[in-house]
Amino acid sequence: MITLENVSKTYPPNIKALDRVSLSIKAGEFVSLVGQSGTGKTTFVRCLIGEEKPKEGKIKIGDWDITKIGKREIPYLRRQVAVIFQDFKLLPKKTLYENVAFALEVAGKSNAKIKSIVPQVMKIVGLGAKMHRYPNEVSGGEQQRAAIARALVYQPKVLLADEPTGNLDSINAQEIIDLLKKINEFGTTVILVTHNRDIVNRLKRRVITLHDGRVISDQAVGKYVL
Amino acid sequence: MIISILRAAKFSLQDIARNVWLSIVTVLILVLAFFSVNLLLSVQVISQAAIDTVRDKIDVSLYLKTDAPESEILALRAAISGIENVREVIYVSKQEALEDFQTRHKNNPDILEALRELDSNPLSPSLIIRPNDVNRYDGLIAELNRISNPIIESRNFDDHKLMLEKINMITERVNQAGFAVSLLFIFITLLVLYNTLRVAIYTHRSEIAIMRLVGASDWFIRAPFIISSLLYTLIGVVISGTVFYLFLNLLQPYLEAFFLNYDFNIIHYFQSNFAQFFILEFAAAAAINIIASLVAVRKYSNI
Repeated sequence: MITLENVSKTYPPNIKALDRVSLSIKAGEFVSLVGQSGTGKTTFVRCLIGEEKPKEGKIKIGDWDITKIGKREIPYLRRQVAVIFQDFKLLPKKTLYENVAFALEVAGKSNAKIKSIVPQVMKIVGLGAKMHRYPNEVSGGEQQRAAIARALVYQPKVLLADEPTGNLDSINAQEIIDLLKKINEFGTTVILVTHNRDIVNRLKRRVITLHDGRVISDQAVGKYVL
Repeated sequence: MIISILRAAKFSLQDIARNVWLSIVTVLILVLAFFSVNLLLSVQVISQAAIDTVRDKIDVSLYLKTDAPESEILALRAAISGIENVREVIYVSKQEALEDFQTRHKNNPDILEALRELDSNPLSPSLIIRPNDVNRYDGLIAELNRISNPIIESRNFDDHKLMLEKINMITERVNQAGFAVSLLFIFITLLVLYNTLRVAIYTHRSEIAIMRLVGASDWFIRAPFIISSLLYTLIGVVISGTVFYLFLNLLQPYLEAFFLNYDFNIIHYFQSNFAQFFILEFAAAAAINIIASLVAVRKYSNI
């Protein structure tokens, strides 16, 4: 499903963010990507969503070589590889419903389709009753749920979660991880980028460890080893 | 495509309403910028009108012998009227010259008394010649000097020539200075507009990044900002046009007093040039807005 072949990325003057990274992730897997700050996790995410182009190597999603992707294709990539962040990245002047609907509106979906899909997804993430509130009127956990709902409306093949629990307390963090597991059970490949040792160890899923831009460990049922 | 345009328009209106203070400040700056440009243009129009008024009053007079027969005067008038660059030739008869003299000196009883002492009207008839184009005044004087007619008593045009040279010099300098000031002012205004919109878009930088994140195309990200800027520009042009029209109504009585006996109405001028004036302003500002939107959105569209 996702294949990285000798992917390297260097930032000026000569900082190696990724150094000959090769790995593959099968469709439907739940993978945790761990590592200390500055080991290349964020660069990995940015390369997967087309925000950065590697200096060397190839990244393929299915048969799609995204290292050769044109600027005009990026919006389509973003609908296949959805991403959620630590800071939620919701539009503050739109309600939660509008934030989720917005993702469909930009894709040119009809109003009827938006009206049928959005409430369903909001219900799945547990925000059915609060969908008409603005982001500043709900908790951090609920904002992250809304961000997940927004990522799900395209029914993406891959969901990249970049430190999704970084701003949440342990209870909310666990709820978000449970939601990601549920999404994974529906068939979406989930890549969880995290610092959180407890979460990784409790998951008992595949763990890839990055250090100085290189893969130093890749365990099918792994633990946080650093 | 239509649904995307409608959605971009919806987002634009939603954004204007939800960021009402930013919208008001943006429109206010646009109104001030347009008002300043209009004011500068008005100053140029008024100064040009003042120069034209002075030029319009420039004429040359041929003084004729007091006993010149009327038929010969009229023949001479017809001949001069045929010269190229002659707008009109006014014949002032002895009697009209006397009446004019008496009117001008009605408050000076000594002069009027001296006039009454004389047996006959001492004033000469004259032909007042007004040129079409004062810039070709030299050619007209040469033509008038070539006319050889015994009824002509005097033709001294030197004072007029000096005055015309001065007026032409002043006109040229006013035009040059006006052009330079206008260019500078328009440049400053465009910079202000450009930066106002960049600041407006800067405040939306996180939203732009989020739009990109959820798969919005470049066009879809830019369209609401472009629509908003066009709306701001339109509202700015309409408000500044309305305020400026009211301002001109206040100014016109003072201009009428200044341009006494001269048909100059700045309101009529703006009414007759309204379309090109405001369409040009809207087009220039809209172009700047679009450039600012494109540049700023490109800058802030990285997550």
